[in-house]
Amino acid sequence: MKKLLLKINSGKLLLTILLSVLCTVYTAAQDDSTAVKEEEPEATEIVKLSYHSSNNSIQYLLLKSIIKKGKEQTPVKNKAYTIYLDSAADATKVADVKTDADGKAKTFLPPSLKQAWDASAQHIFIVKAGDEEVISDYSITKSKITIDTATTDGIRNINITIQKQEGSEWLPAADVEMKIGIQRLGGILTAGEEETYTTDSSGTVSVAVKNDSLPGDDKGNIILAVKVDDNETYGNLLVQQAAAWGVKTTTDNNFFEQRTLWSTRFRTPLWLLFLAYTIVLSVWGTLIYLVFQLFKIKKLGKQAAH
Amino acid sequence: MENISTLQSERITRELMPQKFGKRGMIWTGALIIICLIGLYAYYRQLDKGLVVTNMRDYVSWGIYISNFVFFVAISLVGSLITAIFRLANIHWSTPLTRIAEIIAVSAIACASVIIIVDMGRPERLVNLFSHGRLQSPITWDVIVIGTYFFISLLLLYIPLLPDLKILNEQKNKGPKWMSKVYRFFGFFWKGTKEQWKISNKSVVILSIMIIPVAFCIHTVTSWLFATTYRPGWDSTNFGAYFVSGAFLVGSGAVVIAMYVFRRYYKLEKYITEKHFDKMGKAVVLLAFLYLYFNVNEYLVPAFKMKKPEEAHLTNLFAGEFATMFWFAILVGMVIPVLIMITKKGRKPLPMFIAAIMVVVGAWFKRYLIVTPTLLHPFLPMQEVPESYKHYFPSWEEWAIAMGSLAGALLIITFFVRLFPIIPIQETITEEHEKAITENK
Amino acid sequence: MSCNCNGNCEKNSRREFLLTGLLATMAVAGCSDDKTPFTPEENVALSGEKVKLLSVDGQVIEVDKAFLKPVPDLPTLSNSEERKGMPGKKFVMVIDLSRCKNLKKCQSACNHMHFVHPGQSWVKIYQMQDAEHTAPYWQPTTCMHCDEPPCVKVCPVDATFKRQDGIVLIDSNRCIGCRFCMAACPYSTRVFNWETPELPEEVASQHYSSETSVPQIKGTVGKCDFCPDMVRKGELPHCVSACPNGVFLFGDINEDSVTNGAETFRFSDLIKDKSGYRLMEDLGTKPSVYYLPPVNRNFPFESGLENQPAEEKTGSHH
Repeated sequence: MKKLLLKINSGKLLLTILLSVLCTVYTAAQDDSTAVKEEEPEATEIVKLSYHSSNNSIQYLLLKSIIKKGKEQTPVKNKAYTIYLDSAADATKVADVKTDADGKAKTFLPPSLKQAWDASAQHIFIVKAGDEEVISDYSITKSKITIDTATTDGIRNINITIQKQEGSEWLPAADVEMKIGIQRLGGILTAGEEETYTTDSSGTVSVAVKNDSLPGDDKGNIILAVKVDDNETYGNLLVQQAAAWGVKTTTDNNFFEQRTLWSTRFRTPLWLLFLAYTIVLSVWGTLIYLVFQLFKIKKLGKQAAH
Repeated sequence: MENISTLQSERITRELMPQKFGKRGMIWTGALIIICLIGLYAYYRQLDKGLVVTNMRDYVSWGIYISNFVFFVAISLVGSLITAIFRLANIHWSTPLTRIAEIIAVSAIACASVIIIVDMGRPERLVNLFSHGRLQSPITWDVIVIGTYFFISLLLLYIPLLPDLKILNEQKNKGPKWMSKVYRFFGFFWKGTKEQWKISNKSVVILSIMIIPVAFCIHTVTSWLFATTYRPGWDSTNFGAYFVSGAFLVGSGAVVIAMYVFRRYYKLEKYITEKHFDKMGKAVVLLAFLYLYFNVNEYLVPAFKMKKPEEAHLTNLFAGEFATMFWFAILVGMVIPVLIMITKKGRKPLPMFIAAIMVVVGAWFKRYLIVTPTLLHPFLPMQEVPESYKHYFPSWEEWAIAMGSLAGALLIITFFVRLFPIIPIQETITEEHEKAITENK
Repeated sequence: MSCNCNGNCEKNSRREFLLTGLLATMAVAGCSDDKTPFTPEENVALSGEKVKLLSVDGQVIEVDKAFLKPVPDLPTLSNSEERKGMPGKKFVMVIDLSRCKNLKKCQSACNHMHFVHPGQSWVKIYQMQDAEHTAPYWQPTTCMHCDEPPCVKVCPVDATFKRQDGIVLIDSNRCIGCRFCMAACPYSTRVFNWETPELPEEVASQHYSSETSVPQIKGTVGKCDFCPDMVRKGELPHCVSACPNGVFLFGDINEDSVTNGAETFRFSDLIKDKSGYRLMEDLGTKPSVYYLPPVNRNFPFESGLENQPAEEKTGSHH
């Protein structure tokens, strides 16, 4: 590695020399200097806050802080922020958070904010770093999602209703874009033909399930999921519900438990074990016999000496 | 009659006794020790810094350590050929050569084990092979068969040595004290009684039978380290036979070299005669033809088809980067030695010696060609890697270690010859005796 | 939605916070402990300490303190757990060649996260052209995690092994450095630690884990591990999430689905509709990585050339 560094260094050195020579020639020829200037991109800190609610119940805030320099992004580690609800006062403090190695921090809303939370359907979150307000207008409106499943004429339907709170009333939330589908590892497999769906003026959307006969668990359950991502009004919402629409799937380990050439030493193929042990035992059995014969020669020699 | 026989025995004993190193012997031994020490220093560097001191990289992940290993395993096979195959075929002229062949086998296999440990990235975890050994891996098979072969070879070296140890024991005054201690330790119990002879003869017969399949195994399994992969140039069903035949050839070459050197420097003309060279020459010619035959199979058949992955590999060998070495190995390692030894004049000691050196040197490069070029032709192209990954030429550390191991093998032989008679004394006496009896009849 | 048992809330909330999806909910699990094959490894290291929090509808509920972290800590796995793998899963990857323009983000993310030695890479992007008159294309490769892994067959000490979830991993504390696996792998996947890896001290002092493949150890072999540690956290492998073009799709074949984070496809449909294939099928290695052919490309081949080092631009026929 040192060698490599040296190479890079010497390469850089050469380059610098070359550049400076070129520059001198260039300036000499042109009088006013228009030397090659590396434009250093400015570094800016970007703080993002997002509101998450799941199953209309648990809610939390995620904060992400990065430094952006040109195209490069680096997380801001170990930086303290304070998050407030509605106003930047001690009484409405959500939490003091500190970013982790990925520049992320997370907090729940503490019970102490119950009154403030219940007081309104809309809230603003404020983030301060020290005395500086870095986010002042991240707002969310309370909402809830209902999943309803129905099978008509052999067609399975998922009916979604999204409601928003206005004052103390629950009204339909129109034009909310979301994913509707089946929860899979790392993502949601869309249930119908569209990637995403949008609620109509009544706050509902209905999807006819096309992705049929998906493998489910051992009871045939699959998990339906509705996910709203980064909505300007409602934040990030996720609701999941089981449905017995899958194909019963039992996973077996036959594949893994075979005795094969790629198995571990505890699953060596029997034919190989048999062959190897037969050969090794017979050969070494003979060898051990011969060693005993050597000892016999030794004994005979000692007897002869007496 | 008895008197003549005793006189004769005494003469034979005198002439075959191990001799002190002369000036040349000292220089030879000293040079070998220095080469070994340089190799040790290089290995110390490798242990300290890692395998990065070699020029092996992710593509050529096996280099001359492995080709050297294959070379050693190959040479060691000769022990089985001369001691066992010739013996079972009732060939008697090879008797004086058995000990030469066995010590070559033992020293080569010892150095093969050393060099394979040198190749390991974590040599201190060698014990894992035993505590976590996996029978599915050809490496495990190799460890088992090489261990077995080593043990059989040791026995085949030791048991026929017992009568000679008795003779050596009886000559107490003729060496430094520690030497007679060694003789006593290993052979004090041999009295040459009838029962002892019976057991030892039987043991040697059993060992001679056993060593043949084991010898075939060590080199076949070694070839499988390559042939069980998919790589062009290794993916061959011909590999076991190809390796075994090549091994017999290079081993015989090594025996011829040893015969010449011992004969010359220990004045053994009476015991290693021109007849021996003549016979060995014929054997080498036969083996060279056999190896050539497997080479033709190994290269002509895939070259006829020129499957895409093979094509790059083969053209590189025939006409590319490795062409010089390839044709050198074929011509110098097989064709020219055959041309020399096929004539009667060519089977005189000196031309044989030269031809045998050609065989052995050619064989060393042949092993290099078996290992390296294949690794430079992976299925997916070599891209986006440092330039050093795309070529291979051993670093000085690799050369030093490889040469050190070769010197180590020679050193083992040298010390053995210093300690023990390289031509079996007792057997020679017995044979002379029998000859005299048949002549008198 | 209400929950009347604390244990469950905790469990649910735990799952909840495992980033994108992979959540089984109260609705699914109810108050029982049933596990579905889709739930991620649930072994979050619970602190035992509870935090009270406010729910969406203004109720006060409790969760374990562990969930205060953006990604909850997972308990360290024992070597034998790492060797067994995740039950009920069988991981699969689909690489869509029609989307690749050689941006190499996959590679740099992987190298960065695994502290791969400079000059070496576990993810490689090949500039391919199968024959003189056929179209050139960019082909990223990871470890193929074969179902008949030639590397595992030849390992003398079980240092590299295949798990029940299909992943082939390396135990660098076991590896003797014989490099037989490197010779055996036809995909040139494996790299060797020829020297002591240069690692930040806090990484170098960690105990090696087969699932994270960190820290790499001198004299042992390394390779792509399909990031099972990320999967346990409910996240996708680094190459998958780093690719801006969604080239890599990762999933569980038992769920018949693959995703790049943004899009999720039914695996069987995707392979059928786009004629997916595997590399070097004739060798019988049965890779877990599938490729979608470079047809209807999102980018012209040439757009990838700007990311290619000068000496590589000529490409190679192979």
